Amino acid sequence: MKEFAIINTRLPKVDAWAKATGDARYTDDLSMPNMLYGALLQSPLAHARIKSIDISRAKRLPGVKDVITAKEAGLIKYGVSPARYDETVFCDQKVRYIGDEIAAVAAIDLETALEAVSLIEVEYEELPILLDPFEAMKEGVIAIHDEFPNNICAEVHQEFGNVEEAFKECDYIRTDKFVNKKQDGAFIEPQSCIAFYDLNGNLTLTTSTQTVHYVQRTVAMVLGLPVGKVRVTKPCVGGGFGPKASANTIELASSILSMRTGRPVKMTFTREQVFQHSRARHQFWHELTTGVKKDGSLIALKNTCHMDGGAYSSFGIATVYYGGSLLGAPYKLPNMKYDGYRMYTNKPANGAQRGHGGVVARAAWEQQLDVIAEELGMDPLEMRLKNMMKRGDTTCNDFNMSSFGMEECLEAIRDGSGWKKKKGKLPKGKGIGVACGFFVSGAGFPIYRSETFHSTAMIKLSEDGGTINLYTAAADIGQGSDTILTMMAAEAIGVRYEDVRVLSGDTDFGVDLGAYSSRQTLMSGHAVKQAGEDVRDQVLEVLSRNFKIPVEDMDIKKGLIIFKKKKPDFSVLRSTYIKEHRGWVDPPVGDELTFKEAARVAYFEKGVVVGRGSYKPGDLGGKYKGAAVGTSPAYGCSAQVVEVTVDMETGKVTIDDMTDAHDCGFAINPTNIEGQMQGSLSMGVGEALFEEIKFDDKGRVVNPTLGEYRIPTALDMPNVNTIIIESNEPNGPWGAKEVGEGAIMPTIPAILNAIYDATGVRVRELPVTSERLFTLMKEQEKK
Amino acid sequence: MHLLPKFDFYEAYDMGEACKVLAEMKSEGKIIAGGTDIMVNMKKGLLSPKCLISLARIPGLSGIEPTSGGIAIGSNLIVSKLLEFDLIRKKYNLLSKAASVLGSPLIRNRATIGGNIVTARPAADLPPPLMAMGARVVLKSKGKERELALDDFLVGPGQTKIKSTEILVSIIVDEPPPFTGGDYIKLMHRNALEIAIVAVAVQITLDGPDGSIKNARVILSSVAPKAIHAVSAEKVLIGEKPTEKLFKKAAALASTDCTPITDIRGGAQYRCAMVETLTHRALSAALRQIKGK
Repeated sequence: MKEFAIINTRLPKVDAWAKATGDARYTDDLSMPNMLYGALLQSPLAHARIKSIDISRAKRLPGVKDVITAKEAGLIKYGVSPARYDETVFCDQKVRYIGDEIAAVAAIDLETALEAVSLIEVEYEELPILLDPFEAMKEGVIAIHDEFPNNICAEVHQEFGNVEEAFKECDYIRTDKFVNKKQDGAFIEPQSCIAFYDLNGNLTLTTSTQTVHYVQRTVAMVLGLPVGKVRVTKPCVGGGFGPKASANTIELASSILSMRTGRPVKMTFTREQVFQHSRARHQFWHELTTGVKKDGSLIALKNTCHMDGGAYSSFGIATVYYGGSLLGAPYKLPNMKYDGYRMYTNKPANGAQRGHGGVVARAAWEQQLDVIAEELGMDPLEMRLKNMMKRGDTTCNDFNMSSFGMEECLEAIRDGSGWKKKKGKLPKGKGIGVACGFFVSGAGFPIYRSETFHSTAMIKLSEDGGTINLYTAAADIGQGSDTILTMMAAEAIGVRYEDVRVLSGDTDFGVDLGAYSSRQTLMSGHAVKQAGEDVRDQVLEVLSRNFKIPVEDMDIKKGLIIFKKKKPDFSVLRSTYIKEHRGWVDPPVGDELTFKEAARVAYFEKGVVVGRGSYKPGDLGGKYKGAAVGTSPAYGCSAQVVEVTVDMETGKVTIDDMTDAHDCGFAINPTNIEGQMQGSLSMGVGEALFEEIKFDDKGRVVNPTLGEYRIPTALDMPNVNTIIIESNEPNGPWGAKEVGEGAIMPTIPAILNAIYDATGVRVRELPVTSERLFTLMKEQEKK
Repeated sequence: MHLLPKFDFYEAYDMGEACKVLAEMKSEGKIIAGGTDIMVNMKKGLLSPKCLISLARIPGLSGIEPTSGGIAIGSNLIVSKLLEFDLIRKKYNLLSKAASVLGSPLIRNRATIGGNIVTARPAADLPPPLMAMGARVVLKSKGKERELALDDFLVGPGQTKIKSTEILVSIIVDEPPPFTGGDYIKLMHRNALEIAIVAVAVQITLDGPDGSIKNARVILSSVAPKAIHAVSAEKVLIGEKPTEKLFKKAAALASTDCTPITDIRGGAQYRCAMVETLTHRALSAALRQIKGK
């Protein structure tokens, strides 16, 4: 095994001090001189025609600097996927959900801005409201978007192999339905931004985002600015989980307000606005028909999915594909048919959330596989092992598993949880369940069709050689990419962790598609590794010329130059360095030539020493329609065992134990990986047991608070036994791939399977509240 | 966006001053203790008092004083203190149990026992155990003082018998007599930061170590506009030997003593079923406590 100095260790996060002490600055902590505060006017109706908007009273209010509507902001359409640009900054003809944006105000303080918003008068003509996607599909109902008369935003029809023929060969076929509820990302930091358009025509947008690059492109397009005039930068971000992976209304509105007023404009969502803006997990209705052989081999899967899209497309085009494609693995499955439909409704738009599009399909299927195993008299864990893909296998929808430690994951959780001793042997009210999952390690294609690099990186040495500045547009949103990329840069160059300073999340620092689809460790990592190696090579080449020593006879380790053969005399170099830096506190000392001195020599020869790196995946995946969604250079995978106790008299589920194994390819920082595993499991627990956005019959969210929209607290999470599996991914930097999203995949079904083991009840509707489970148990008793 | 409306803030240094200012403000003044409820409601625009009068500086409102036959708890005592005092944990454990599931540590460090009573939320955690222990509240106004049973004090959601000139100063709880046991059980979706789906508080007293039930209070919460007595359950318990069969009967009656609604936290039918389950569990726990098991 190769030895590493920096990577594959448990170094503390680069921002650990700032986060632990509360010093970390998030967007809403920031302000600028002369800054204005913005506020939005949003629709109180779920579906209505706008007859008139009167902003005159608002404009007259002292302290108000600007009021804008669609008239001022224009009607350029934008969205996530260029195939479905269906949003404008403000509503023009009609509003489509409660919260749809109509106008924005900039004023000298927030109180004034809010008061001005209340003075805007809008006359509406109410339209029929469509809250149920199945209603929305019916003939003759009103169209939410004129371009989509039957309210079908997108549909997908795919077939790999021949499912109907394959079913004929099957010994056992069953069909099950499954439904979840609309989720909220429930990140701790609500969206916030400050836009400032300066006198030279440069717009700087500081914003709480996962994707500075996509926001930059959208803002430039909607505002009609050259891309180069738009800089998007993020400070600390308090979580994203998907909903912050595209441009939002306040980013656009504050930019327009700043351009018009010439002053910085800050806008921040309230928690209620976070719920209204939404863009989190859809509600999915899956119907799955699976056919198997007597020996448990999977033969065919037919998957029909309907999705409640909400009022706009957001990420939904990708979501509707993912809802099918992500069942192609981790099992060998020769035949798969998918029909997916995403409908517009008069609700907040749904988008992407951790495990994009695949989480509910996975929950439905992994529970069905458990039923099938029982029907066949097989151990569900052994049935999974029997069908598991191996390294090098390709799915029926052309995903190549270039590394795949799934067998190891399953074996690890089987042995780590005591599965064999417990399965089938626990008393009533106690249960154990297993499930598997996998996920992409970065979308193989950008969201817009392009030959662009997915990540670039630049490493610049300071003139004294002591500091290595890493520039990347990758976004650390709390998950720790700054730490991972710093470690990678230090490892690639051969310097110490503390010598590297990371500057990230800024479009001025390069191109990076951002923190979504679990892509940065692999993709940004490749670019950073390359940039680090470039720096290392440049410094060694200069030394080579100076000392007349071949490059291959030198190395850099822990900030020191290693001369593999004879060490040259560098006393002149050292005394020169010390003279030049007389009075400085950190003269180079010791018997070895330091990287600092070497970098100084390189500076003398080259001026600026800059290492460059860039990455894009090569040709990947299939050629069929929609092949881009789900295709990735690598796939992470995971397996989990969950143990629960069910209070048989109340229905309340307590998670007692979770054993989770995840194949991340290679662990750059095991602590960070365990953090992602724990976080994924916690999100899965919430989605399985508590989380549901509820609406009244007018389309209003009735629980837009973290009091009534329940994410798990520390008291709801058991200790998790996290097991890291390394499979050395050939397409990843040092063999690394994803952990951020794949780890959520097995959580919900493992819980559902454990609940069945405890109660004998199959729950096919989320969340499993105590009331739902109690009611199902009572129904079972009556049978 | 919710911003706090403008208001005056008055920090009274003694009870006399607080009563005087409150009287002068007519009904435009409001008392603030922990502020965990009133600040939220002011932000939402549900309340807009001209002046908030703080109890923070008034001496003697944040302690526990012995009385003849019990204790008087200062209304400004923060909830987390109910978990710290040995006296409460040992002799009035029903109260500390309820305090332990109120909100979160952050909320418990600000919210007060008085606030939890005066705001009169149907699912408030402290009134049920206090009612089960037969607590009384002491109300002061300029030159006057009166005492009311907590049962009578609470009227409905957000409504009590307090007058706009009165301040709740203390809660009087009698020491549980010998052969007394109780429990508070709160059914929650998650394990913290919760408003009860259903909660039940029970206190029973036997007339001897193996005697009959001399006194029984069964309080149901979150199933009516305010915490209520399960009247028919109490009636059936009193005078009987505590048996499993009796507890089952009482629990079944309790579920007919309430008329819950279906809301965002749970359905009416489920709530009724849970009243039965929790009442049975609380009665059994109370008996175990008496028997020292």
